[in-house]
Amino acid sequence: MIPVSKTIDADVVIVGGGIGGAMAAIAASESGAKRVVVLEKCHVKRSGSGATGNDHFSCYIPEVHGDDVEPVLTALMNSLVGQAKDVELMRLHLLESFDIVKKWEEWGINMRPLGRWNFQGHALPGKPRAFLKFDGRKQKAVLAEQMKKHGVTVLNHHPVVELAKENGRVCGALAIDASTPDPSFVLVSAPCVILSTGLTHRLYVNGTTPNYLFNTAHCPNNAGGQALGWRIGASMVNMEIPYTHAGTKYLQRAGKATWIGVYRYPDGKPLGPFVTKPDPEYGDVTSDIWNSAFLDVMHNGRGPAYLDCSENTPETLAYMRKAMFDEGLSALIAYMDAKGIDPARHAVEFTRFEPILHGRGLDVDKNGQTTVPGLYAAGDMVGNAGCGLGLAAWMGWRAGHAAAADAANSTGSADLASNPAIKAKMELLSSFMSRNIGAEWQEANIALTQIMSDYANVGPYNVRSETLLKAGLGYLAQLREETNASMKASCSHTLMRAAEVLDLFDCAECIMRSALERKETRGNHKRSDYTFTNPLLADKMLDVTRKDDGSVVTSWRNMKH
Amino acid sequence: MLEFNAPLSTDVLVVGGGIGGLCAAIASARTGARTMVAEKADTRRSGSGATGNDHFACYYPKAHGSDIRVILKELRQSLVGAYHDEKLSLRFLEESIHMVDRWQEWGINMKPFGDDYEFMGHAYPGRPRIWLKYDGHNQKQVLTRQAKKEGVEIVNHLPVIDLIEMDGEIAGALALDVSKDTPTFTVIRARKVVLSTGTANRLYPAAGSPGWPFNTAFCPACTGAAQAQAWRIGAKMVNMEMPNRHAGPKFFARAGKSTWIGVYRYPNGKLLGPFVDRATRYVGDITCDVWNSAYTDVLLNGSGPAYIDCTQTKPEDLAFMREGMISEGLTTLVDYMDRTGLDVSRHAVEFMQYEPHIIGRGLEIDIDGQTSVPGLYAAGDMVGNFRADIAGAAVYGWIAGGHAGASAASCELKNAETSPWVAERAQLYSSFVERESGAAWKEANLAVQQIMDSYAAAGPHRLRSATLLTAGLKYMADLRKNAINEISVPDAHSLMRAIETLDLMDNGEIVMHAALERKETRGMHQRSDYTFTNPLLSDKFLEVWQENGTVRTEWRQCWN
Amino acid sequence: MPPVIDPSKCVGCGTCADICNSNIFVFDRSRDKMPQVKFPEECWHCDSCVLDCPKGAITLRIPLAFTLLHVDAGSLKPQEAKS
Repeated sequence: MIPVSKTIDADVVIVGGGIGGAMAAIAASESGAKRVVVLEKCHVKRSGSGATGNDHFSCYIPEVHGDDVEPVLTALMNSLVGQAKDVELMRLHLLESFDIVKKWEEWGINMRPLGRWNFQGHALPGKPRAFLKFDGRKQKAVLAEQMKKHGVTVLNHHPVVELAKENGRVCGALAIDASTPDPSFVLVSAPCVILSTGLTHRLYVNGTTPNYLFNTAHCPNNAGGQALGWRIGASMVNMEIPYTHAGTKYLQRAGKATWIGVYRYPDGKPLGPFVTKPDPEYGDVTSDIWNSAFLDVMHNGRGPAYLDCSENTPETLAYMRKAMFDEGLSALIAYMDAKGIDPARHAVEFTRFEPILHGRGLDVDKNGQTTVPGLYAAGDMVGNAGCGLGLAAWMGWRAGHAAAADAANSTGSADLASNPAIKAKMELLSSFMSRNIGAEWQEANIALTQIMSDYANVGPYNVRSETLLKAGLGYLAQLREETNASMKASCSHTLMRAAEVLDLFDCAECIMRSALERKETRGNHKRSDYTFTNPLLADKMLDVTRKDDGSVVTSWRNMKH
Repeated sequence: MLEFNAPLSTDVLVVGGGIGGLCAAIASARTGARTMVAEKADTRRSGSGATGNDHFACYYPKAHGSDIRVILKELRQSLVGAYHDEKLSLRFLEESIHMVDRWQEWGINMKPFGDDYEFMGHAYPGRPRIWLKYDGHNQKQVLTRQAKKEGVEIVNHLPVIDLIEMDGEIAGALALDVSKDTPTFTVIRARKVVLSTGTANRLYPAAGSPGWPFNTAFCPACTGAAQAQAWRIGAKMVNMEMPNRHAGPKFFARAGKSTWIGVYRYPNGKLLGPFVDRATRYVGDITCDVWNSAYTDVLLNGSGPAYIDCTQTKPEDLAFMREGMISEGLTTLVDYMDRTGLDVSRHAVEFMQYEPHIIGRGLEIDIDGQTSVPGLYAAGDMVGNFRADIAGAAVYGWIAGGHAGASAASCELKNAETSPWVAERAQLYSSFVERESGAAWKEANLAVQQIMDSYAAAGPHRLRSATLLTAGLKYMADLRKNAINEISVPDAHSLMRAIETLDLMDNGEIVMHAALERKETRGMHQRSDYTFTNPLLSDKFLEVWQENGTVRTEWRQCWN
Repeated sequence: MPPVIDPSKCVGCGTCADICNSNIFVFDRSRDKMPQVKFPEECWHCDSCVLDCPKGAITLRIPLAFTLLHVDAGSLKPQEAKS
């Protein structure tokens, strides 16, 4: 059995020290929570999708946008991050966003690199621009420093693998101490837990390099955190609505909107109707609107499609390069420099990436509270409140304050080690460590991606159907059984990956269950057996919940305006 | 620079000790020519026929009657019959039964069911059956033993990596000794060379498990070496642009789908195909031979998945099927099913279409198995204008080996090691070993797969076009340049894989050049910019070859 | 994939290393007691090593990603008929 090395009592536990988690920790501390503990899988200075930067923060600033928030809200709802979200939450986010921005600036993140509030790119021509351009290169280091200043306890290299629930309320978390090669367990008892584990990758066969699981647009270490909430009965929402990002081929990297150029066919014709020459103010949003653009041109033989930046002025190209650094794309720039790839001369091919869970997951209220008392969520793993950095920061902030107040009246588990879910997980993970011959975690992860890409794939070129989804669920159950019986891990690192795969299984099941229930075609959720889009569902969201007896229930709810 | 061993000399060099290579070697040795087989692994267990095979295409007048044309028609309408120069198919059929007799005599059980040859499976209801059912589980050991008995010298763990041409004819080959950790080169001087390196796999991402490039239906160590090496010295290729996809169990890639005796069904029990509602050992369900994309179609239209259902098959035919799987070399599959409790009398197994690979596409040969390069022969799955799988390899190996052996004496043996080509290639390969760190061969291989999948995919759900193919050729050239500048290998084994990867790049380029020139849609070669099938090309083949560094293509009439 | 050699049965004859289709074993007879599976990812699951090992010391472990997908054949029925 893997030993327990630490037992900790906390008021608020935060799972994941990314943007949302750090903001939650600082807010909880500000609100008077004494023992705030961040359990981070890697290191808070450089973890998650925002590790090395970001350059756009969804935000409403009255002095720039005017007194009416609604046009900016409409622009945000029409953007990639606004799909199928509760408008009420998005509006509140915008109304409170400037406060967060000012806070960040005060802490030392460069929110006005050009000396003014600059809204640029990611927008339809002539429409309000909702994304504040900033320089996020130091964002993680600054937030880490603020956590320290606020007395937050940060445990780096402590991935959380299970949550505990007692009397209907969350009561603690099980983490692995992965800071040394030999893993040990850490038990953290707390009345409030805030999940902020980011997006989920590695569910589908990689869209660019099928043999490389970790070549993803956002951080590939973020894998399956939604499952922690799912297993203790938190409702999930929008899991069946696919999200696919796009960007450079074959080197995946988010930040396509940082590029300033025009998408073109090989004959030079622009792909989209929006711009014919590079427009630094709005960018070319073609692929935000026409999500399958880069796939379509491959399937109809007219492609490939390139991003052409050659008509930019030298000043704009210099600005784009700077913005790429702000966005954290320094590895991409270094690669291009080394290979002599020059946007002034070379057009770069773009492609659509594989589906990820980005803004799909836990159903929360305006305080980030999930349907399980004491459990909160913030950031990209929330299903109904938008995604992206600005939303993570805002929701983390609200969740931190709310959790601190909530924690004052409750207690965590008195005996976490005896909690059945925690005990079972400790036994299962220990069995992986005791096996000498067995399946590597990669096998199980890849097997899962195969199943998802065959039986729960996304449109427009793949369909879902009752027979396919049921076959997928059946195969997933077989895979889960075989994995539990045969997986091995040799050190804390591979044990962490093995635990991630178990989480991914749950996310996959959740996706397939929801997809079965959504008996219509909507966006890239294409059902061959329900080929129409049902207008009665246009204003509804699908919640899916795992009950304590293991059964799964679904229910439709109205969107909140 | 890696070290060179002393050159070897032989009259006839056979490249690859699979079915075609060993049969060629035996035929060559029988003419009295000194014959050497250079094999990448060990001829007792190498290649796609390593652990067996159970069906051998054959014309047997006693069973089929005196009209060979009846059997020719069946061959042409079978899975292997699409792109043949018919005069080669006829010669194959004429000589096929003699090869069967020889195999029987040497110790391969060609009559596992009694006193005479039996023809079963892979057939349409009510039509003549051309596949002789046999037990090939020991075929490679028997052929190896026979080759040695006939005086053939077999050198294992010595893959040929380049061909050497001097004064317009073949002069030998450069080989890589991989028997030790540290690689060394060996030049083999030869008067004639017979290529027999099998199918080309690992060119496209593995359709079942894209994370595992070696999960292939055919031997993944076969990577189009013959096509690439012959291409580099100017030999003509045909039909390289015509894609081929096999099918079989999902996700466990393994050839031998027709050894299964069952029917293909939708999840609602409905049959996929129109041919049989109950399968027997004589006539199985041939649906996916005719409807190649069946399993992909049912996933893409949501009506799938598709399963093979053997539960209606009679118990004695199920026992027969199990034996057939062992004869075919599918013991891993049988063991796996036993171990996991997968029972074909109760369980239905999902089938899938595998990734494109190259079989029956490649070197153009004449009636004697000779390529367009004098003295260079080819036999087996890498021949482009005739295909009959294992039987084709055996019979045409025999024809080519016999011709090479008989004509070897009239050629002189040249000092092949003095060719500047040898120094040039050796320098390139050595640089991979000398580079202390860099790109792994596998990265390059996977990159080849990505490019082929994006820009030279196979239909019906994916298209090719001039813009896509042109982009693919550009990217492949970039990749080649980067790979040559960056690959680093730690040992002989990895160097072999790196060279295979360069061979795959050549194969990919040949496919894309030919695909650009075929300005029509035909079979799985689907062009978005030429969506029709041009009847004027129905009896023509597209030759593609390199001349002075330039790629040339030419259409020629089929040889009927 | 990959082959798993049972050290209690292996006699170090090296047959598996000789005959492997994909050359995935290494075996230095002067140094090693038994072959080592050095390139497990390149196994083609052809089964030659299993078939030829004189001591029956080798089994193949099939990776999870190769799982042979199957269902109960009895489930292949129209939906109505199932209920």
